[in-house]
Amino acid sequence: MKLRIFHLIAIVILVLSILSCEASAAAGIPYITYNYDYWGDVYYTPAAYVPSGNLSGDSLGVGAFKSPQDLYVAEDGRVYIADTGNNRIVVLDASLKVERIISEFTNQGSVDTFSAPTGVFVTNRNEIYIADTGNFRVVALTEEGLLHRIIENPTSEVLDDDFVFAPLKVAVDYADRVYVVSKNMFQGIMAFDEKGDFTGFTGTIKVTITLYEKIWRRLSTKAQRQRQVKFIPTEFTNVDIAPDGFVYATNYDPDGKQSVRRLNPRGQDIIKKKKDGSLSGDLYWRLGREYSGPSRIIDVVYRGKGIYSILDMTRGRIFTYDHEGNLLYIFGGKGSQTGTFKNPTAIDMKDRKILVLDSHTNEIVTFESTEYGRLIDEAVSLRFEGDEASAVELWKKIIQWDSNFELAYSGIGKAYLAAGENKTAMEYLKLGMDKEYYSIAYKRYRDEILKENLGTILTLLVLVVLALLVRSAVMRHRKKEAVDVE
Amino acid sequence: MNKEKLRFPFYILFHPFDGFYELRHREKGSLIVAVLLVFLFGLSFTLNRKYAGFVVNELNPLYVDSLTDVLGVGIAVLLFSVANWSVTCLMNGEGRFKDIFMVISYSMLPMVLTFIPATILSWFIAADEESIYYLIKAVAIVFFIALLLIGIMTVHGYSFGKTLLTMLLTFIAAILIIFIALLLAYLVTQIISFFRSIYTELIIRV
Repeated sequence: MKLRIFHLIAIVILVLSILSCEASAAAGIPYITYNYDYWGDVYYTPAAYVPSGNLSGDSLGVGAFKSPQDLYVAEDGRVYIADTGNNRIVVLDASLKVERIISEFTNQGSVDTFSAPTGVFVTNRNEIYIADTGNFRVVALTEEGLLHRIIENPTSEVLDDDFVFAPLKVAVDYADRVYVVSKNMFQGIMAFDEKGDFTGFTGTIKVTITLYEKIWRRLSTKAQRQRQVKFIPTEFTNVDIAPDGFVYATNYDPDGKQSVRRLNPRGQDIIKKKKDGSLSGDLYWRLGREYSGPSRIIDVVYRGKGIYSILDMTRGRIFTYDHEGNLLYIFGGKGSQTGTFKNPTAIDMKDRKILVLDSHTNEIVTFESTEYGRLIDEAVSLRFEGDEASAVELWKKIIQWDSNFELAYSGIGKAYLAAGENKTAMEYLKLGMDKEYYSIAYKRYRDEILKENLGTILTLLVLVVLALLVRSAVMRHRKKEAVDVE
Repeated sequence: MNKEKLRFPFYILFHPFDGFYELRHREKGSLIVAVLLVFLFGLSFTLNRKYAGFVVNELNPLYVDSLTDVLGVGIAVLLFSVANWSVTCLMNGEGRFKDIFMVISYSMLPMVLTFIPATILSWFIAADEESIYYLIKAVAIVFFIALLLIGIMTVHGYSFGKTLLTMLLTFIAAILIIFIALLLAYLVTQIISFFRSIYTELIIRV
């Protein structure tokens, strides 16, 4: 009898442990997914993207990558990897099989090679631009691998005489203007025209000095001032180009306020930001120990329809924003499990998958969207196109996944507003924390109420006026009587 | 409590110079009314923070704690009174502690009268009408500051310049008081933990 009970308990424990194993496997995403609400509080969300496999140099059959620094997905679906340590560019075809390896090219009749290529970019005419950092030049090759042009030794009066041109990242727009992020270049992104001449800087970041720093500087002596750190703007870390020619550029912001910029052809930042909002990944961070400090944004990918994702090196997270600066979802993390990073360096998008290059594990981690992520992407795309009506069904599905998603509520609210259901619209817009549209809905609702009850209100008003008139007449009469009596 | 004392704050509202003079020299004020006013202000302050309309409310209503707000207002008033009293004592001020406390609380009447109506009004306004709400609040606060300055001036028999100077010194004194209070609190916890460790030591050894 005793033995049987023991057996029973053992079986129960076994079953329970199997069940719990399954449960954890279902939630087996190696990172936490969360978002920030209107008040800046963290809330947990379903995962928008989940890891879906790794690609390493070995698995591709080209030998392990050696600290690869950049990755670019061309319009035709080819993937270009700047295998920095091996001084080569690995090209994968659209089905992620190795197509070829570029490690040398013919330059004026002789064979030329790369030295630590850190950046790669491919135009829509399949010209390959390579930031050949170790050779201090940008090399552009045609699709066949022939030399197209070389950009080196930029000369200009705005550049110091001892300036060394060490390009790190490169991007090219539809007019063949080349944007280069260069090492130790604080003045901005270097722009070159189609002939390869340096035309100037674009997107210069203004230095901001706080009042405290100003006072401190005023109080310190000249010798002290020389020893203090100079106030220099932060360096850009990466560039991407949207099809319309606008440049998305990332930079490291120690204040954690804005790490991504959208530069127009004049070099002005025109990115949209929410009121008091941040475009810099995490809103809060630890000050000491591991994974501390603000998000260090090192790459950006423009994903179309106003959506862009930025990659944070500090905590290995990917933050995705829409064209208005709303944070859509966060995923990714550092660690040693599959699907996490050690030292992520580049991000790009292929079909619906997100590829992240890790320069420490020498692998590409791929992510695919879940139902939740797909719904958000689609709804936001529809919203970007101004088709709010078709987005409503998607927003409704999204709040079944994540009942805290404010953008969804405001999307539904706007649809109700358009349909004339002002009261319901008010409810949803309030949940979506959309004060602007809430006000519009409220005004219409208020007008409705007033219009319906206009008769009653006017009658009441007339009655009150009449009552007052009668009262004053009676009073006058009584006073008169009193005087008369006297 | 007679009716006259209850009505006196309203008299001060529009006759501040006479009113505060009578408060100081003719015993027209009442401490109970003063405490009531501070409490009412705390109440309207916290109600305004918590229940202001969606369009104007910049605070997460979940994070507003009414008890802390009311107590905070009370403590702030006490702190300011003590600070002002300790400064004016040294600067030939005529006002007693009681007078200073009453001046502050009686000056709060405009805010007590407007904060709750403003809150109710804020439920019925849209985004471009919010300036009405902010105007009402701003007028109340300016009225409060004006009454406070006149009150302090009258009660102590100061000139206007001297009042401003004492106000500045009052703020410094308030900061000093907070500093000393924190220091004292820290020391007291140290002493308590010292005696507690002696107690534990004794319990375990004996």
